[in-house]
Amino acid sequence: MAIASKSANYRKVKNSLAKWIITLGGISVLFTLVLIFMYLLYVIKPIFESAKVDVTAKFVINEEYKVLATGVDELKEVAYSITEQGKINFYQLVDGDGHKAGDKILSQPLVADGESLAQLINVGQKQKLLIDSAGNVQLIVPSFTANFTSGKRVIIPSIRYPLGKEYLPIDENNAAITKLSFAMDDEKAIFVAFTQDNRLIKTTLLAEDDFNYDTAYDVQYQEIDYEAKQVNDILVSSGLSMAFVRQNDQVAVFSLDYEPELKATIIPQLAQNKSTPNHITSMALLSGGSSILLGDDNGSVSQWFEVATDEGREFKEIRRFKVSDNEPITAIYTEQYRKSFYTETPSGEMGMFYTTSEADLWRGNLHQGNAQALSIAPRADGLVVFSNNELAIFSVKNEHPEVTWQALWQEVWYESYPEPEFIWQSTSGSDDFEAKFSLVPISFGTIKAASYAMMFAVPIALTAAIYTAYFMTPGMRRKVKPTIEMMEALPTVILGFLAGLWLAPIIEIYLPAICLLLVFIPSSVFITAFSWHKLPRKYKTLIPETWAPIILIPAILLASYAAFALSPVLELHLFGGDVRQYITNDLGISFDQRNALVVGIAMGFAVIPTIFSMAEDAIFSVPRHLTSGSLALGATQWQTLIKVVLLTASPGIFSAVMMGLGRAVGETMIVLMATGNTPILDWSIFQGMRTLAANIAVEMPESEVGSSHYRILFLAAFVLFVFTFVVNTLAEFVRQRLREKYSSL
Amino acid sequence: MISVTPKKLSEHRVKLDLNNLSPEQVALEIKNLDLYYGNKQALQNISMSIPKGQVTAFIGPSGCGKSTLLRCINRMNDLVDICKITGEINLNGENIYDRHTDVAALRRKVGMVFQRPNPFPKSIYENVVYGLRITGVNNRRVLDEAVEKALRSAALWNEVKDRLHESALGLSGGQQQRLVIARAIAIEPEVLLLDEPTSALDPISTLTIEELINDLKKQFTVVIVTHNMQQAARVSDQTAFMYMGDLIEYSDTNTLFTTPAKKKTEDYITGRYG
Repeated sequence: MAIASKSANYRKVKNSLAKWIITLGGISVLFTLVLIFMYLLYVIKPIFESAKVDVTAKFVINEEYKVLATGVDELKEVAYSITEQGKINFYQLVDGDGHKAGDKILSQPLVADGESLAQLINVGQKQKLLIDSAGNVQLIVPSFTANFTSGKRVIIPSIRYPLGKEYLPIDENNAAITKLSFAMDDEKAIFVAFTQDNRLIKTTLLAEDDFNYDTAYDVQYQEIDYEAKQVNDILVSSGLSMAFVRQNDQVAVFSLDYEPELKATIIPQLAQNKSTPNHITSMALLSGGSSILLGDDNGSVSQWFEVATDEGREFKEIRRFKVSDNEPITAIYTEQYRKSFYTETPSGEMGMFYTTSEADLWRGNLHQGNAQALSIAPRADGLVVFSNNELAIFSVKNEHPEVTWQALWQEVWYESYPEPEFIWQSTSGSDDFEAKFSLVPISFGTIKAASYAMMFAVPIALTAAIYTAYFMTPGMRRKVKPTIEMMEALPTVILGFLAGLWLAPIIEIYLPAICLLLVFIPSSVFITAFSWHKLPRKYKTLIPETWAPIILIPAILLASYAAFALSPVLELHLFGGDVRQYITNDLGISFDQRNALVVGIAMGFAVIPTIFSMAEDAIFSVPRHLTSGSLALGATQWQTLIKVVLLTASPGIFSAVMMGLGRAVGETMIVLMATGNTPILDWSIFQGMRTLAANIAVEMPESEVGSSHYRILFLAAFVLFVFTFVVNTLAEFVRQRLREKYSSL
Repeated sequence: MISVTPKKLSEHRVKLDLNNLSPEQVALEIKNLDLYYGNKQALQNISMSIPKGQVTAFIGPSGCGKSTLLRCINRMNDLVDICKITGEINLNGENIYDRHTDVAALRRKVGMVFQRPNPFPKSIYENVVYGLRITGVNNRRVLDEAVEKALRSAALWNEVKDRLHESALGLSGGQQQRLVIARAIAIEPEVLLLDEPTSALDPISTLTIEELINDLKKQFTVVIVTHNMQQAARVSDQTAFMYMGDLIEYSDTNTLFTTPAKKKTEDYITGRYG
């Protein structure tokens, strides 16, 4: 009795332990999946958040004179104002080192005694171009250095003079300047100015060496052929190649590379739906220097850049942002490194936009009326505004403006492209680069690679499965099946490596042979089978009947040899000696060495075992009594196969194909090594592609953690996840339906 | 002495002299049939004539070769690679083991029903017309008529006529077996082979099938394999008793069950082994 109860207890403990362990295992699998899902979403989420602007500090500062410009250091600890009087005042924004927040820590005159500033032009976010009352100019850069001598970080402001401390005359004839624009690089600085006596002039300073090291230069004066009584705005592109001169509603574009000459005239179509006529009210250069933004009376901002058309290069309106319903756009402020811009209307309403993604990021009111001076922080993470003797610092949270649903999935008109397109190009060597984050080409690449692989694998795997399960003798099946299944264990990196470095060149050289193989192999199989059938019995007994299919091996080898031997002959006589040349030149189809054909074969090879193994099991497990039933009704083997076996096995065959598809979609190494990784949208079998998986593998190591690019790669992973999830769910749904319908007893 | 009292389903049993049948009376003639599975002989020199329009039962203990013999009649043993057959089976005077025999055509003449109901995973209608469709009959009217006729013959029509297009897998076991019989007779074979057709069924279904067999012999020659002696006694006109691959005794059912000629037969039907 005691023993019985002891063993009962033991069983009970074992039972509940097993129950708990199994439950725990199940839940942790589910939990892990949810965790992966949540983590992906957590990384992705910020890119779809809109921008946030919050005030961080406000100080009452009584400037005696009008503030012309303002600015802030990178850490937003010291701000400055430049007044009409010609003084720059630095203000501490945070408490520290003997200074309280709001204290003036440095004040320095920028003009000689008795002079004052006539105009100030913001060049980028750091450089300020000063024009004194005499019409001479000087370029200054308020600079900040961090000092750690006291054990604490102290920001020490100073002023740099990239073109020297002297004010320099712009006009040869010393006429006063009414409008001026400026841009410089290491070797050259260009001023384009409109003078009091209605001349448009270009003044070039050519560095003797490099402006980064010394300020010595030669001056070159040029006059630009342009008739005008006055101009409203002048802008010089940061690449120093173009100048935009706005006179009322017309913008003249001059090329500055050699002799300045008129390139184009932009005449925007302005909506005339108000009682008062509509006019251009403001103009700004977008980061990168090839786009201009025009704000108008009607409250909209349009983006223009040069595109190649049939009639040559032309400025076109690319997109339009509706900023306000009734107010004109008085000012447009652009970020230095990104395609973001801020707009301002007379009532002080501000808006934040991003051109590429057409994102309307933020609207708000930061001050009463127009700001005297507004500046974007160097890291684009803040704004500093001087208005009504108040200095206000705002923090701007706008880390991923370039990503919107539209930018990811729709055609986007990128700068200097002739038309809107789907492009994936995440990085480039240049700073002015407009990142192109369309997920369409890489999603397409995934589908293309998977489709070609399936086209190659499904017929082979399924026919092999049918033959093995239904016609092959059991003895042979026992050897063949594990052999094919072992192929699955082949590391895909080896397949990819072979495909990229061995198969791709062979296909390129022996393309006619590959096409011939498509015909030769099936026909050699048929001919061999037929001859075998007709062979006199005494020869047939030489090979055990169960191993008869072995004779196909030499037949296929012979057919392949014939195809490769014939290839050069065909190439010479039909394709003029070089198929590749023929395809590219005569057929006009571009040919990549690493193309969909290579990927189809290599990845097809990788998914064949998956499909084969599952489909073979499904076909083999069709009950014998069903096939017998069909055969007993006078059906042939073939009819039985088509009408009963495949029908009954269809749920299994379907899942086999879907498993194969799932594998092809998620496969990374083969596509990474054999596709060429070109994110293009083209079904052509002779062109490569880039898949979501390969894209993540290629770009993740070089992407900056937390950047838009990084997060978009996570989004690509998420898309891949959803993709396989949808495919699997759909497959499972269809499979269940099929199983209900065709399940056997 | 005899524990089995056969309930007569067929009242007018004609006693035939099985050794001297006229050619018109013979449906199948088996001559000196030997069958080997590899090196093992499973049937030894079987010779018998199966009369037309009657029910012939094969009985015997498990493994005696009765199913194997039945499967020889429509060459289902061809599917077993290691199986080798010598001897003849003549159907309408032609040896079905002739080299030129079209096996598919033979099987249309000799239908077969298996131990377990094996409807295809298709609708009831499609199951019945399967044999017609594979011969290329696709005329809707012909098929409709064939379905009704076959299902009526199989005594299933009234039960399924309103759900012909529903899955056959929704039917009960007995209904499925009758459907399989309907499927077999839809192509109007000459001979119908039943391989233990009720062994997977409940008693009520068994009874229905047995009644059906009695009706079927008006149209077909029926050969049934059963290990249920009462069933053999109830439904068959002739019974063949087989043991270890040999045909021990073959005579009309009454004689075999009441006055068996061989000791082995008597031992078997009285339950000494089997």
